Amino acid sequence: MAKRTCISFFSLLLFLAGSRAVAQDTVMVPLHLRAGFDISGPMLKFVNKDLVSYGLLTSVDITEAVTLNAGLRYSSFHTERHIYDFSSRGLSIVTGAEYNFLKANVSKGKYYAGIGLRYGLSLYAEEAPVIRYTNAWGEGVSSIPLSRHAGHYIEITPGFRTELFRGVTIGWNLYMRLLISAGAGKDLKPVWMPGYGPATKGMATAAEYYVSFSIPYKRKKVIIMPKTEDPEYEDEGEPVTAPPGTPSGFGGGR
Amino acid sequence: MRAVRQISACGIAAVMAFVISSCSVQPCYEETDPMMNTVLLASGTGESVRADSLRVRGVSATDTVEFVDARSVTSFSLPLDPASNLSMFYITVNGIHDTAVIYYTHLPHLVSPECGYTFTSNITGVATTHNIIDTLIIENSKVDLDGKKNLHLFF
Repeated sequence: MAKRTCISFFSLLLFLAGSRAVAQDTVMVPLHLRAGFDISGPMLKFVNKDLVSYGLLTSVDITEAVTLNAGLRYSSFHTERHIYDFSSRGLSIVTGAEYNFLKANVSKGKYYAGIGLRYGLSLYAEEAPVIRYTNAWGEGVSSIPLSRHAGHYIEITPGFRTELFRGVTIGWNLYMRLLISAGAGKDLKPVWMPGYGPATKGMATAAEYYVSFSIPYKRKKVIIMPKTEDPEYEDEGEPVTAPPGTPSGFGGGR
Repeated sequence: MRAVRQISACGIAAVMAFVISSCSVQPCYEETDPMMNTVLLASGTGESVRADSLRVRGVSATDTVEFVDARSVTSFSLPLDPASNLSMFYITVNGIHDTAVIYYTHLPHLVSPECGYTFTSNITGVATTHNIIDTLIIENSKVDLDGKKNLHLFF
C-alpha cells in the first residue's frame, strides 16, 4: 500500500513539474568585460578651470543583472579666491556593484538602466598656500603646508548605458556621494577632496558621461518566463513543443 | 539608435546641470570669528555678577585696539590674535585697571569653501594683575565657533 502511494506521489510530482515547465522561455545573454573612460571630466575643464579630472572605468557582468565594477580617477583642483588659495590633487579608487532593472529579454546584454553602490577611497594631498584673514586685531596672511590624507566615501549611482556600436558602449551616471571620513580631521577638511568633491558637505552630487569598450566573455542562458501553464493544452491533450532555445528535458515532461 | 540619442541627451543634460550648479558662487553666511567668552563672577560666592562699567582693550605691538566699552555687563567676548601665541588685554572693571595675558596655540579651521579659513585656539595659560581681578580661570580651553564659555573672571 505504501509502495503504491509513493509511486502515485512521484507520478504526480513529475506531472506537475512537466506542467509548470510548459511555457518556459529562455534567452541567451552575453556577459561582458568593459573598460572605458570618462569624457565628462575633460569636458568640464572648459567650464570649470579649477578642476582637472580623468577617470577610467572597468566592469564585469557577473549575471545578466549584476555587474561588478571598479574605477580609478586622478583629480587636481586649484582655486584662488580673495580670502584663500587652495590646492588638492590625488587618486581615487572606487569599487562596487550595480544592478540592472531591465529584464534579460529587454537588456539583451546591451542596455542598462539601474543603480549601483560603490565604496570610494581617495588618496590625496592638500594645501592652502595663502590664507588672508581680517579680524579686530588687523589683517594677516597665513598658510597651511602640504599634507597627505586618505578619505573614504560611499556613492550611489543611478544611471543608463547602451551599446553604441558592437563593442562600444556609452552611458551616464549620477553620483550621490556620502562622506564617511575626509581623513584630515575636523579642522582641515579639504575644500575639494579628489573623487568626492567638497568635503565640507556630508553629501555631494556629480554626473559622469562615459564611453567604454566591451568584450563578451560568456553567454548565459536566462529563463524569462517561468512557472506558467496553458490550460488549453491540458484539456485538449495536444503535445507541447519546446520553444527555441529551451534545453532538452524541459517542456517534454508530459 | 533612438536609445543612444535619448541616453546621450540625458547624459549631457545631467553633466551640464552638475556643471552649472558647481560653478555658482555662494556668499558666506556663517560666523567666521571665534571669540573667547568670559563670564563675570563674584569673588567668594561664585555667583554671576554685573559690572557697572567694563572696558577691554587689546595690546598689539604697535597699537591698542578697543574691544569692549559697555555698562552693566555680566559677560564679554574677545578675539584672540591669530598672528601671535599670546594676547594681552587691558581690562578696566568699574574704573579699576588690570592687565591680563592669554597664552594659546592656534590652528586653521575651514569654515566653508565660501567663507574660507579661520583660526581656532586652545588656551594654554592665563596671567593677570590683581587690582580688581581676584582670579581668572580657564573653564573651557577651546576657543572655536561653538560659542562656549571659556574663562571665569572673579572680582
